[in-house]
Amino acid sequence: MWKVISGIFLGWSLGANDSANIFGTGITTGIVKYQTAILLTAIFVLIGSIIEGSKCMRIVSDLSRLVSIEAFLCALAAAITMTILTYFAIPASTSQAIIGAVIGAGILSGSADFSKLIKIVACWILTPIGGMIFGYLLYHGLKFIFDKTIPSLTYRNTIYSVGIIVAGCYGAYSLGANNVANVTGIYVGSGLLSCQMAAFIGGLSIASGTLTYGKKVIITVGKGIVPLDPFTALVTVLAEALTLHLFTQIGVPVSSSQAVVGAVVGVGIVGGLRTVNPKMLVKIAVGWLMTPFAAGLMTIVFIYFTS
Amino acid sequence: MKVKEFMTTNIESIDHKRSVYYGIERMVNRRIRSLLIRFPGKEIEYGVITARDVVFKVLAKGIDPKNIIVSKIASKPIVAIDQNMDFKEVAKIMEESNIARAFVCDQDRIIGLVALMDVMSATIIAKARGEYVS
Amino acid sequence: MFLEKVFSRGKKEKEVIGDITKQIKLLCTACGFFKTALETDNLSLMRQVMDIERAGDSIRRDIISRIYEGAFLPYLRPDLCKFVEIVDNIFDLLEDTGYRYLDLKLPEQLRGECIQVAFLNRRICEMLLITFESMLKGEDLREKILAIRIYEKKIDDIKLDLIRDARKIEITNFWEGEILSQFLSCLTSISDVIEDASDHLQVIHVSMK
Repeated sequence: MWKVISGIFLGWSLGANDSANIFGTGITTGIVKYQTAILLTAIFVLIGSIIEGSKCMRIVSDLSRLVSIEAFLCALAAAITMTILTYFAIPASTSQAIIGAVIGAGILSGSADFSKLIKIVACWILTPIGGMIFGYLLYHGLKFIFDKTIPSLTYRNTIYSVGIIVAGCYGAYSLGANNVANVTGIYVGSGLLSCQMAAFIGGLSIASGTLTYGKKVIITVGKGIVPLDPFTALVTVLAEALTLHLFTQIGVPVSSSQAVVGAVVGVGIVGGLRTVNPKMLVKIAVGWLMTPFAAGLMTIVFIYFTS
Repeated sequence: MKVKEFMTTNIESIDHKRSVYYGIERMVNRRIRSLLIRFPGKEIEYGVITARDVVFKVLAKGIDPKNIIVSKIASKPIVAIDQNMDFKEVAKIMEESNIARAFVCDQDRIIGLVALMDVMSATIIAKARGEYVS
Repeated sequence: MFLEKVFSRGKKEKEVIGDITKQIKLLCTACGFFKTALETDNLSLMRQVMDIERAGDSIRRDIISRIYEGAFLPYLRPDLCKFVEIVDNIFDLLEDTGYRYLDLKLPEQLRGECIQVAFLNRRICEMLLITFESMLKGEDLREKILAIRIYEKKIDDIKLDLIRDARKIEITNFWEGEILSQFLSCLTSISDVIEDASDHLQVIHVSMK
């Protein structure tokens, strides 16, 4: 049972890193207080994990036949990879790390199922695109609806304040639903945990990451996403939440950071391409390539040396 | 909106015997496009010269403006409207008489001048005020 | 917590808006008093303009503290406060003009034009109120702002005439001339600040779209 610890560690780091994507903008624009945001994120992540978290677990466990020790090492490799990349400020996705690790283990044991991998990689590529599409559509759609139905200043004010909080809760829910599979999905495959248990423990670990370390990351990251006004902030979070929720239904865990970047780009395109930072895009591409490889390699090394 | 709310009260008037050149000086100096011309008589009669009159009737014809007096090119009588008239009626009158400006009166006294620009401005203001009652 | 915000249904915001409306209406009243005082050379009425300025000041303080107690999105707050400050500046300017008036003997040949400016100042304040109410409803402000600009240009034109006519007056004492000059300057600057205020309303309007 102790093997679950690496998964919990992974979940904790995911919670710490990714919760900034949800309420970061709400906090930096002063609409939500830190305490409130972190508490809401933790609660809704847990709810999301429990209710829909199992949908993505299938694909993680189907990717390779793992035994429990391999599961432990995969999660460990993924967690270490994440930590290193985060240290170097390269945006790293937990989904990619864990999948890379699992494939690495699969290659070594010869049970890797590459057909599933194709589906997964396709979804990774589609994530920021989905974010962009949702961002663009929501921006125009909501703008149109709001202009028609609530032109009044005070009502807009209320809608934006309430909206950002609701969107944030939805975002946290989607994060839990989609990403908990990254954290504890492998244990289901190797038979260590049942789906429900995995979802619960995974959800708790993510929530704990948010509660303990979330604040620090929110301060640094939240300011970097620059939505310029409450409406853009609302659209960005909503777009990210929808993207993640969509991929949850498809059954593939994806990266919330990339969904957010896509959303910001999608909204940024509305106002011209100045808001898109090419350096950021390069960093993301690097992260995309490096993360699964690094994690996979590390896993292979770990398993090789422990067997 | 009544004319008196939007007219210019600063009107320049000169005697009918003055040269057109003098008239040009006054208009250029004050950056205005028309002058009221005073004609003598038991009751003062008024005429008006505009920039158009000066340019078309004098300068274009090659006449030396110093050699011609304003009464020769002035239009008489002037179009004068009551200070309480509504702007829409003013616009109609200006269109019917084909003039770009009209003088505003308080009974017999000329108290101001209203030009095309003033009529346009008044429209914007009236629209902006909407149903607002002052 | 934010739950209070949801359940209070914008009560704080409504109060702030009510106060700002009161502030602008007070400004219109002050301008009205000023014009009448000028027409009738009523010094005690002119002094009431100062009293109104004090009332306006106190409303301003209420508004600002209420805003920072939690009305409106933090994103909007600085712009709203800036607007309120600008309106307060208009009050101050009006008060200054009033003070100068009490101190001088206005030459009669200037009185007519001054009254005209005072009348237009009142009109332009009313237009500011209309613009504010439109902004609250989320309507397009272009027309109203154009109307304000038209009034301001009109006042500018009269200002040129005023200065020209003032020059013809013989001044025997430096301070007499100085106070007259300040009076005219303050009187004609009021509309500039109001135009400023209206531009600011446009900023608020655009930032919430």
